[in-house]
Order: sequence, then structure tokens, then C-alpha cells
Amino acid sequence: MASDKELSDFLKSVEKRAFKRTAYAVRDDDAALDIVQDAMIRLAEKYFERPAAELPLIFQRILSNATMDWFRRQKVRNAVVRNFSYFESVDTDGDFDLLETLEAVEGSTASESASDTVSRAQILVMIDAQVAELPARQREAFLLRYWEELDVAETAAAMGCSEGSVKTHCSRAVHALAKALKAKGIAP
Amino acid sequence: MNHSIPYRRPAEPEALQARFALRVVARLDERAAQLGPDVAERLRFARERALEKAREARSLVRPAIEPLAVGGSTLAWGGLGDSSSLWVKIGSVLPLVALVGGLMLIQHWHTRAQIDAAAEIDAALLSDNLPPSAYGDPGFAEFLNTPRD
Repeated sequence: MASDKELSDFLKSVEKRAFKRTAYAVRDDDAALDIVQDAMIRLAEKYFERPAAELPLIFQRILSNATMDWFRRQKVRNAVVRNFSYFESVDTDGDFDLLETLEAVEGSTASESASDTVSRAQILVMIDAQVAELPARQREAFLLRYWEELDVAETAAAMGCSEGSVKTHCSRAVHALAKALKAKGIAP
Repeated sequence: MNHSIPYRRPAEPEALQARFALRVVARLDERAAQLGPDVAERLRFARERALEKAREARSLVRPAIEPLAVGGSTLAWGGLGDSSSLWVKIGSVLPLVALVGGLMLIQHWHTRAQIDAAAEIDAALLSDNLPPSAYGDPGFAEFLNTPRD
């Protein structure tokens, strides 16, 4: 059973990422804060007896469900479906080379870097915006897998899809981000 | 045309993908750390409300198993934490084990007493002189004629 301190530490460690992830989805900070609070309370009320190690995955599932509930309540499910349909679109990044981008990023000198012309804060804002622009499922997979550091199986469980779908979502998200950031001359 | 295509191991795309993704999420971490004080305050409030709810939920579960009052005295059954729950279980099983053990001992003692009594009677019969009238008894004659294994 997770102690009060373990629960508190867990929530503290995850709250900002949870808020950002939700804000990306609902595009409304107040709504995102309400959803995160709702998810935290659901976790605390119903899963307080679970061991601390199980909390991350349970919380991500609750947060995803709470976000979906919000969409249902807002009756904008059509908009979500439209976002989700981006996932089904044909990948047109066949000629895009991630290695090329990474090499450019890692081998870039100060003179080649976009940080010469754009301040670091602006770069962060632009990266943030690009992540927000990703199709919903790709963004969710990308953030759960790499930001929340869930493994492929856990991400699939949290998203309610297959592990293969998670890999596809992640791959497409990374390629879309790399392509968009490269086009803007931004090195993450 | 003779293009040299660099060989890439199958795992390489995934590793590249992960490296790039980790760079991006590092920037997202920086960005998340810059959240305004109003957002941070609301998140803190949300966290504290959640912890309050967890405490309430725990307090609702505990009284149901904690003290059990019997005839004016109180038996502690639960609410003692994980480490003592094993002792509580052992304590509740112990009387049952003692009862079963006691019944087995009584059974053993009773059987033993029967065997001893039978042995005593047999010994008395065998060590006593055989009365002459016994030779006239058809049952005894039958016993003597029964072939031995």
C-alpha cells in the first residue's frame, strides 16, 4: 500500500507533466487543471491501497479516461475523432532522414544553431507548440513513452491499443517533430 | 550509378528515434518547469485535496476491522499495520491448531488405553492354567484344529 508520503511524492513528480499533457489535448489550461485534479482525486480515492510502483500506470490511465470524459461532456467528440483520424493518414515522410537531422543537431556548432537567432525560451515555446500540433494519438504515445518513461507494453495498456500501434504512433510522432523542427531551423 | 548505401543495423532507427525523442522531452521538461505560479498553486491544491481524499478513504476502511468489542473487553484485530498483520493471523489460527492437536492426543491416549487393557486380559488368560473343562468345549476343539499360517 502506498503511504501518504509516497502518494504525495508521486503526485508532485507527475503533476506538471500531467497538466501539460492534458493541456495539449484539451487546449484549455483551466479545463486541464480541473481534469488533472479530478484524476488525482480518483487515484487517491480508489487506488490508495495499491503499491507505489503501480501508481504511474494507473494514473496515466485515469488521466486519459478523465480527458476523454471531458471531451464527452463538452460534446466535441467529433473534433477528437477528426484529430484521431490524422493517425490513419498516409505517411508522406518516406524521404525524410531522421539520422540526418540528429547528426545536424548533435554536430551543430554555435554558428549553425538556431539558438543564435532565436532565444532559448522561444525555442522551448516552439518545440512546445510543435508537440501540441501532433495528432492526438501520436502525441499521447510519444509523451507516455518518452516523457512519462512507460515501456511499450505499459503505453499500449494506458492507451488501450496494441504494442505495434504504440511503436507506429511514436515513430510517426518523432518523424513529424524532427521534420517540423528542422524546417524551422530548431535543434531540440 | 554506384551509390554506396550506409549499412544500418535494424535496431538503429529505434535508437535514433529514442535519442531524438529524449532531446525533445528534455526541452518539454524545461518548459514545464516554467509554468506560472498560478498553475503551480492550483496543482498543489489539487494534490492536497487528493491526499485528503486518500486519508478519508483509509479512515473509512480501518474502523471496520480495527477494534472488536466483546463483552466489555476489546480485541484488536486490525489497524496494526502490515508488519503485525501476520501475527494477527497467527494468533487467530493458533487456537484451532491447539484444538486439533488436543483431539488427536485424546484419540491416541484412548486407543493406547484400549490396547493396554486388551493386552492385560490376554496376558492374564495366557499365563493362567487351562481348566480341564476347556478341552470339552467344541469351540476350543475347533480352535485347536484350525490350521496355522
